[in-house]
Amino acid sequence: MRAISIFSTPVLSDSERHRRRHMLARLGLAWLAMMQVMMFAFPGYVRHEGMAPDNLELLDQAIFLMNWISLLITVPVILYCAQPVWYGAFRRLAQGQISMDVPVAMGIVVAFIPSAWSTWAGKGEVYFDSVAMFVAFLLTARYLELCARQTVEAGGANAQLEAFRTSASARANRAAFWFVSIQVILALVAGAVWWFYIDRSHAVPVMVAMFVMSCPCAMAMAVPSTVSAAHAAAIASGPLNESEITSLVETARRVTRQNLYGSVVWHLLMTPLAAVGLVAPWVAAITMLLSSLAVAGNAWLLYRRWVNRAGAHAWPEAAAQV
Amino acid sequence: MTASLFLLLPIALAFVVLIGALFWWAIFAGQFDDARSAGESILMDDDTPLSAPGRGSSPPARDARVPPGD
Repeated sequence: MRAISIFSTPVLSDSERHRRRHMLARLGLAWLAMMQVMMFAFPGYVRHEGMAPDNLELLDQAIFLMNWISLLITVPVILYCAQPVWYGAFRRLAQGQISMDVPVAMGIVVAFIPSAWSTWAGKGEVYFDSVAMFVAFLLTARYLELCARQTVEAGGANAQLEAFRTSASARANRAAFWFVSIQVILALVAGAVWWFYIDRSHAVPVMVAMFVMSCPCAMAMAVPSTVSAAHAAAIASGPLNESEITSLVETARRVTRQNLYGSVVWHLLMTPLAAVGLVAPWVAAITMLLSSLAVAGNAWLLYRRWVNRAGAHAWPEAAAQV
Repeated sequence: MTASLFLLLPIALAFVVLIGALFWWAIFAGQFDDARSAGESILMDDDTPLSAPGRGSSPPARDARVPPGD
């Protein structure tokens, strides 16, 4: 299988293609809204009390106006783009379980409601840019995951790789469940400590950063992206014999482990920094995107290395097909 | 200066809405569905002349020589 654009919809059934189109629309609109909201948030970052009074007054008027526009743009992001998050969170909560969507949903709510209140009251901090960034980056990770899953479903699946996927994703989900539970508790505790003992104005950004960090996007992507890269490598290198398949599964296992441990290390490094208030919500969102992209890139490296190794003698055959 | 903001910011918002709506239309009209075959169609062109001698009156299907996708 040759690499094709991840934005195109390959051979898919109608319902799957519809789903893919909606995910692409969510992703694109979230990125568009994110860039706009970041632009409108900029005056809030340059404002400081040492400015000349008339400048400050003018800037405050502009900020007031821009906050309202940010609010207008953020509402559709929350209602449409973040829809999978709400569905996922409520479906699992109704069953009495915590899924990965729960901390994401809480992060969005915790950042959005105080910001909407500040906009209405005309004073205070707004975090619309963090909300929009969080949703856009989260959807990027989800979209890559969806592409990886649909590629596996479309191309013929290798039985041994599928067996590996089933066992590995069960283990990864169990680990992610504990991770999410602990992180949600930590976020609430850190928010409460900041609110009651340290500085009320920092409680909301600390809590938002902690919720953003608790989203195990990279962990959720670790298994599907690796397995689909291995599937693609198996398809690209033609029929494999028994020992080659074993070695491919072994490679996939190693890369999955790297991805899982890498994302755990990222969580362990960033959570204490966020808890002491050193990580702004938007920085947390960017590191979340970077960790997800690192996982996807590592899976892609597996595919490249495998195809290059197998490709040395397969090349004339492939050239003959073109 | 505030007056110009009242004019420019709604224009910016209108552009965002317009671009978002166009993007939405493009996705659901299928513009992103197949990003490759249009670019390759010039290479996979069917060069056989339509009225070649001995080919009969019915020309071959337009993309008979295009290999199936992956």
